[in-house]
Amino acid sequence: MKGKHWLVKLLIWCSMLITLTTAISISQTQNVQAAANDNSLAAIKKKGTIVMGTSPDYPPYEFLVNNKPVGMDIAIGKQIAKDLGVKLVVKQMDFDALLVGLETHKIDMVLSAMSPTPERKQSVDFSEPYYFSGQSIIINKADKEIYKNYKSFYNKKVGAQTGSLQYDLVKKQIKGAKLTGLTKVTDLIIALKTHKIDGLVAESAVATAYVKNNPDLVVINGGFDLTDTGDGTAIAFAKNSTSLVTAVNKTITKIKQQKLTTKYLADAGKSLKVNVADTSMWSYRSYFIKGIGYTLLISLVGVVLGVLLGTLLALCRLGSIAPLKWLATGYVEFIRGTPLMIQVMFLYFGLNIPALTAGMVGVAMNSGAYVAEYIRGGIDSVAKGQTEAARSLGLSSKDTLRYVIMPQALKIIWPSLGNEFISLIKESSIVSVIGVTDIIYQLRLVQAATYKGIAPYAVAMVIYFVLVFGLTRLLNFAERKMQHA
Amino acid sequence: MPSMIQTVGLKKSFGDTEVIKGIDAQVEKGQVIVVIGPSGGGKSTFLRMLNMLEQPTAGSVFFEGEDITHLPTNKLDTVREKMGMVFQSFNLFPNMNVLANVTLAPQRVKKTGAAAANEQGQQLLEQVGLADKADAFPASLSGGQQQRVAIARALAMDPDVMLFDEPTSALDPEMVGEVLKVMQALAKAGMTMVVVTHEMGFARQVADQVWFMDGGVLAEKGTPEQIFDHPKNERTKSFLAKVLVQ
Repeated sequence: MKGKHWLVKLLIWCSMLITLTTAISISQTQNVQAAANDNSLAAIKKKGTIVMGTSPDYPPYEFLVNNKPVGMDIAIGKQIAKDLGVKLVVKQMDFDALLVGLETHKIDMVLSAMSPTPERKQSVDFSEPYYFSGQSIIINKADKEIYKNYKSFYNKKVGAQTGSLQYDLVKKQIKGAKLTGLTKVTDLIIALKTHKIDGLVAESAVATAYVKNNPDLVVINGGFDLTDTGDGTAIAFAKNSTSLVTAVNKTITKIKQQKLTTKYLADAGKSLKVNVADTSMWSYRSYFIKGIGYTLLISLVGVVLGVLLGTLLALCRLGSIAPLKWLATGYVEFIRGTPLMIQVMFLYFGLNIPALTAGMVGVAMNSGAYVAEYIRGGIDSVAKGQTEAARSLGLSSKDTLRYVIMPQALKIIWPSLGNEFISLIKESSIVSVIGVTDIIYQLRLVQAATYKGIAPYAVAMVIYFVLVFGLTRLLNFAERKMQHA
Repeated sequence: MPSMIQTVGLKKSFGDTEVIKGIDAQVEKGQVIVVIGPSGGGKSTFLRMLNMLEQPTAGSVFFEGEDITHLPTNKLDTVREKMGMVFQSFNLFPNMNVLANVTLAPQRVKKTGAAAANEQGQQLLEQVGLADKADAFPASLSGGQQQRVAIARALAMDPDVMLFDEPTSALDPEMVGEVLKVMQALAKAGMTMVVVTHEMGFARQVADQVWFMDGGVLAEKGTPEQIFDHPKNERTKSFLAKVLVQ
């Protein structure tokens, strides 16, 4: 560990950390610059594309047919792109993440049935509203006689999508309501059907679409007071994008004049029928297969990079160079002390790394910290006499590690590494929050497309179990081979 | 010609406890030194300082005229290849077979080719009477066999001196003989050896010099006859009285 090229490797590692910190500060300065001068329209035209962010679980506004986003918002997005003379790129994200996506310039605009509330206006710019739709409440058909409007829900259990206008409405206007906030409307529908909640507040158009596909549910008019909530749905842009907003408003005026939204909604209705024609899980197998691919990719890359990183960290901690020791210890403690989800979101939003890369890097960095501890423990547990015997033969510290200590340590570490890989397969599901299309993400899409809540969960569970169980057998087999050697 | 090993004012403390309190001694080429003395007298610590497995607190160790006390690690590796060491607990590498244990260091350190290393390894195993165990793993060998492999492993580096740290203390009584026999043959062949042991019979028969260590100092040294038959130091007398009773 005292040899020269260990030092080189460690220096590389240090410089990586420094790059990381620099990247943070650069991305922050970029934000500041963007705020200073408005070249938003010119920038889009120069780029030749406009990236629209949307959470495609909200029919008829946006949903997926054959894995492609469709719906009214998508049609509007296309019209805007056409009028600006650029190409439209649709990026799928959780609704919660959309505004962060704008602030960090991952996306240029948000078209996701978003209402221009005063709170949101503080952090982003809005276009003119392009569609007005009331706020409705979905209830179970059996409860039709009990609930008439929002006032019937005083002190009852009500659900709404987290971060949505409806969530605020419930909080402000339904007195004593026990509010359940979930990210996905599909999950809220399950909650309603299983009587976890008594009613679910949603956009009227959305509520109607869901009820059409669920004979057990009915929709009632919410009757909310919508005067200061910024009624209607509008397009969100990053702050200080006046030139872009003005240009987009022209398109919206045209859409309103030609009453294009009626046509868009009719088209969306037709697409919906395609989706619900066959809702068996088997016909959505391509979704799940794609998800399995990404989950395995992320876990595999995570574990391989994690082992490399972990080995390096363990050697730093066991080595005799004090600053590296502190650095490695600090890293391990910090990573183990913060949730993986925040690490992944920080990489994606904070450092502007593409989603898949952020997911893989995040998982690898996280796994590296744990693996480092396994390896350190493994090396520590090899008897001290082994090192002494090797060194007394004249073997260098590197050769001692490679031929004598590591092979013995590996035998001890192997089961823990196996466990790490297994838990990575499951924990990697976190990356769905930044839109990486892993199993969980695909499961959401299937839920949105089929209006079936429980079945996709069951399928995902079986998939995870088969993956993990198969892997466990494989690892046990390898372990036995190793013990015999 | 410089001594094979020379120590000057050698001291070692662990925390506040000084376990070696200044030792000046020489080992000449071809000599067999047997270090005896009560447990906790510092014999093993002294031996382990000769090849820097323990860093001395003060004083110096010279090997073939060179001060090795503060050598950088890579230079120390070069010195250590010439100083074979055999441990009380054998310390064979359990992850490789007997032959690989013997041939690892020649291949990695001396860059001996695999074929040559294997041939030399086989010869050494024959020398210690274990030619048929080349493919066995250490865990399947008895303690005596393991220690003989450890001796062969140290010899494979063709060392100038062999250090033995209580080589028979961890063995069942019936296996002590086979290891001592190998050591005796080595001594006869002219190997320079420093042996820390409780085997008084071996000391008397094989040693050129017997060193009696107690309380961190070299209390007395001399030929086996001087030490065993005419000890001058009171502590030597009382120690020998205790061990020679049986």
